Amino acid sequence: MEPRLSKYLHMKGSQLGLPIAGTFELTPRCNFNCKMCYVHLTEKEQKLCGRELTTEQWLSIGREAKETGTVFLLLTGGEPTLRPDFPELLHQFKNMGMMVTVNSNGMLPGEGLLQQIINDPPVRINISLYGTSNETYEKQCGIPAYDRVIRNIRALRDAGIEVKVNMSVTPDNKDDIRSVYETAKELNVHTQSTPYMFPPVRLHPEMCGKNFRMDPEDAGKLQAEYDAFRCSEEEFLRRVRALQNLTSPDAGNEDCGDAIGEGIHCRAGSTSFWITWDGKMTPCGQMAEPAVNVLETGFAEAWRQTRANAAAIRLPPECNSCDIKNICHACAAMCYCETGSFSGRPDYVCRMKRSYIDAMMQYWQTKYGGEV
Amino acid sequence: MKVKREFVLREIAGDLLLVPTGKTALDLNGMLTLNEVGAEIWKMLPEVKDEEEIVQRLLKDYEATAEEIRPDVASFLDRLRELNII
Repeated sequence: MEPRLSKYLHMKGSQLGLPIAGTFELTPRCNFNCKMCYVHLTEKEQKLCGRELTTEQWLSIGREAKETGTVFLLLTGGEPTLRPDFPELLHQFKNMGMMVTVNSNGMLPGEGLLQQIINDPPVRINISLYGTSNETYEKQCGIPAYDRVIRNIRALRDAGIEVKVNMSVTPDNKDDIRSVYETAKELNVHTQSTPYMFPPVRLHPEMCGKNFRMDPEDAGKLQAEYDAFRCSEEEFLRRVRALQNLTSPDAGNEDCGDAIGEGIHCRAGSTSFWITWDGKMTPCGQMAEPAVNVLETGFAEAWRQTRANAAAIRLPPECNSCDIKNICHACAAMCYCETGSFSGRPDYVCRMKRSYIDAMMQYWQTKYGGEV
Repeated sequence: MKVKREFVLREIAGDLLLVPTGKTALDLNGMLTLNEVGAEIWKMLPEVKDEEEIVQRLLKDYEATAEEIRPDVASFLDRLRELNII
């Protein structure tokens, strides 16, 4: 659950137009090769597409972001720890007075990096755990990395660092969803899993509406199965009741902070921003547009333009009158990635959510057999 | 007075926040909010030798008596001690 202070700062930031939270996508390079990734480029491809920002450029953007009001900063990639200057960037951003979280695949290359992170830790490390065997990792990520990743998670936990495990579920690792949950539980780390994979339109515009992912009905069923094994009977019933009342069983996406409205309804471009590896500010990392070049305009002006651009976005009018609009959480990025337009209805998401609701009701009947 | 933990004092939208940095991010997983007087005290901590010096310094800036200020300073410092910050 999101801390109250964070919610309060976002609320105030929204009134005052402040970029309270941001993401620096330090690199598109990665030592994994996941089929569903929306950003990964090989070093060769990256060099053909553009130049990564230098250490000083990131620090300069960080200082400007801090001056403009940024408190929460996420460092992501690709794999951000591949940059040799990663420990230095983490250290400097923390010293600027920002609460820094890191997204990583958990490989933490080289010998000294793990210890460097333990010595100068972020507030939290979000680690993608793709399965619970080297075989699943080989299939999903092209590298048998499980042993190393799990060893690193344990070491980080043992050092007292907060770790959150995220699982992106695809046809290649769906059979590990339960064991990932059990492993996270045993490690005493929070876990989140989703079968929803954004189409990688930033990399391949022709992939609009497509990705390496489960079909939406199976994805919805899997999400319900996940709830069935992770929730107590009481919690499961609470969720079923919420769905029956056409309300969300979740508090909302803590990273995005959703609400319902015909304009963009998360924090993207309202109190949060994303800066891509080549220096473009967008409201959210899944969107290729609207984009403003931070190196050319400076941070404050890029933020001003990004806010204005995001405020102009209109979501599909039919979603506003949809019966499951409060359950669905379809966002501007989903509309854009699924249909190529912010005002296009993301059918994949509709089908996945309806399948989830049906499967939850069915689970309730067969597993617990009681009245709702 | 010795400050044992590393923080950066920031003002965000009129609120004063202590953001943990260095290894403090491990032990204190969150930010602390301060009021204006708390921030004043925080800034003077490395320079003062004891609680009474803080009270005397505040007396110069605020229209209050030492008897009125003393309990608030004590309570603020107690909270910092509880969190092992000083």
